[in-house]
Amino acid sequence: MSELVSAPLNQLRTVEALYSGHHGWLYARLRKRLGNAMDAADLVHDTFARILASNVTVFNEPRAYLNCVAGGILANWSQRKALERAYLAALAALPAPEVPSPETRYLLLETLHEIDAMLDSLPPLVRRAFLLSQIGGMKYEAIADQLGVSLITVKRYMKQAFVQCLALVE
Amino acid sequence: MTDSRRIQTIGSDALEEAAEWLMSMSDDDVTDTQKADLATWRNSSPEREQAWRRAELLMSKLGSLPASVSMPALDRPNDPDRRAAITRLALLLAVGPALWASWKVGEQQGWTADYGVAVGERRELTLVDGTQVVLNTDSAIDVRFDADQRLIQLRRGEILVQTAADHLVPSRPLRVATREGRMQALGTRFCVREQAGRTYLAVLEGAVRVEPVNAGAGVPLIVQAGGRASFDARSCSPISAVDNTATAWVRGMLLADKMRLADFVAELARYRRGFLRCDPAIANLPVSGAFPLSDTTHSLNMLVQTYPVTLNTHMGGYWVLLSAR
Repeated sequence: MSELVSAPLNQLRTVEALYSGHHGWLYARLRKRLGNAMDAADLVHDTFARILASNVTVFNEPRAYLNCVAGGILANWSQRKALERAYLAALAALPAPEVPSPETRYLLLETLHEIDAMLDSLPPLVRRAFLLSQIGGMKYEAIADQLGVSLITVKRYMKQAFVQCLALVE
Repeated sequence: MTDSRRIQTIGSDALEEAAEWLMSMSDDDVTDTQKADLATWRNSSPEREQAWRRAELLMSKLGSLPASVSMPALDRPNDPDRRAAITRLALLLAVGPALWASWKVGEQQGWTADYGVAVGERRELTLVDGTQVVLNTDSAIDVRFDADQRLIQLRRGEILVQTAADHLVPSRPLRVATREGRMQALGTRFCVREQAGRTYLAVLEGAVRVEPVNAGAGVPLIVQAGGRASFDARSCSPISAVDNTATAWVRGMLLADKMRLADFVAELARYRRGFLRCDPAIANLPVSGAFPLSDTTHSLNMLVQTYPVTLNTHMGGYWVLLSAR
C-alpha cells in the first residue's frame, strides 16, 4: 500500500474513520448489486484506495460521497467485464482452426481494452462507424447506408474518432 | 484529463491533419503522388512526424485485431449512466468535497441501479417481503421499501413480479414505476416491460392499477388477470387479452405463434449483441415455434431448418442478415 506511506496523516485519519464507519455498508450494497462477495470485496478495496490516493480530506455526508465514488469504480469495472464477456463469447463461437493460442488471446484482450478505452467517450454512432470501417473493413459508402446517414457525416465521424484515438494512443 | 494535455504537447492541428491523412490513405488505390505528399507533410515539422508515428502505432493496433472477435467485443451499447458515473469519478477524486454539496441534487439516484442483468442474461430475486422478481435480458431495477410503500423502479428492460403478502400491518402497497407511470399490484403476478418511451403490462393473476405520470383526471385503469395494456406518460391503450407467449422468457423461451418474421427478429435481437436484421422482402413471413433465448445462434439455425430463409453471417456472427433462400 504505497498510498499509505505518502498520504498525509490527517487525511489518513479521515479515511480511516470513513473506512471503519462505512465499509460494511458499502460492501453490503455492492454485494447486493453484483450478487458476488469476492467482486464486492475487491471493489470496496479499490474505492478506499482511490479515495486515499486522491488527497480528499473532508467528507460531508460520507455515504453519499462513497456511493458516488464506488459507482464510478463499479462502472469502470463493469465495462471491463462486459468487454471480456463479449470477447470470450466470440472466441467460443470460432471454428476450432481459427481459435488463437492462449498467449495471442491474452494480447488481443489487452489491445481490445486499449481500443475500448480510446473510443469510450465517443457518441454511439461515431464509435460504430469507426468500428465498421477499421475492424469490419467496410467502405464509407457502405457504412453510410448501414447507419442511414450521409457520406459526409460518416467522414465527419471518422475524423472525430481518429483524432480522439491519436490523442490517446500510446 | 490526460488527453487534453497530450493534445497540447503534440498540437491538435497536427493530430487533425494526421487524421485526415489516415482517411485519405484508407482507399485501396493510394497513388504515388499521395505517398509523396504524405512524406513531405510529415517531414515538414517534428510535431507532424510525431503525430504520424502515433497514426502508425494506432493502425498497427487496429490491424492486429481480427474482426471475428473484435467486432462483438467492441460494439457494445454505450450506457449513458455508466459514462456519467465514470466522468463523475474523475471529478470527485480531483475536487473532493469542495464542490460536492452543489452536485448532490443530481445524485439522488446514486448508482446505475440496485439490481441489473446484462444482455442475454436472466436473474431471479426474492425481495425482503418475499416478493419475487425475475429480470429479463438487459434490465435494471431499484428497490425502495419504506413505511408507505414497496416500490420497484424499472429503470430499463422487463420484469416479472410475483407479489407476496406484506409482513407489516397495515400492509403497504406494492408498486412498479417506470418513466411513463406507475402500477399498483392488487395481489398479483404480472409482467412489466419498458421500451422506447412506452410501458407494456401483462397481468397473469389478480389485478394491477395503472397510473400514467401525466394522466388527466379520470378513473385509473385497472387491468384484470388475463389482460394486457400499454401506456405512455399520458394515456393507456385499450385492454386486450394476454396469450401464453408473454412470459415464456421466464422459462428461457421465445414462443412464437404466427409471429411476423420482422417482429420475431426484433424480439430475438434483444437477447443478442450486434446487428440482427431481416430482409424487408420476407418481413411478413409467419413464424411459429419455441426457440431458446440462451442460445440465439441456435434459434436462428432452427429458423433456417424450418423456413425458406438463409443466414448471411459476417464478422464472427456479429452481423447477421436473414434473407429468402
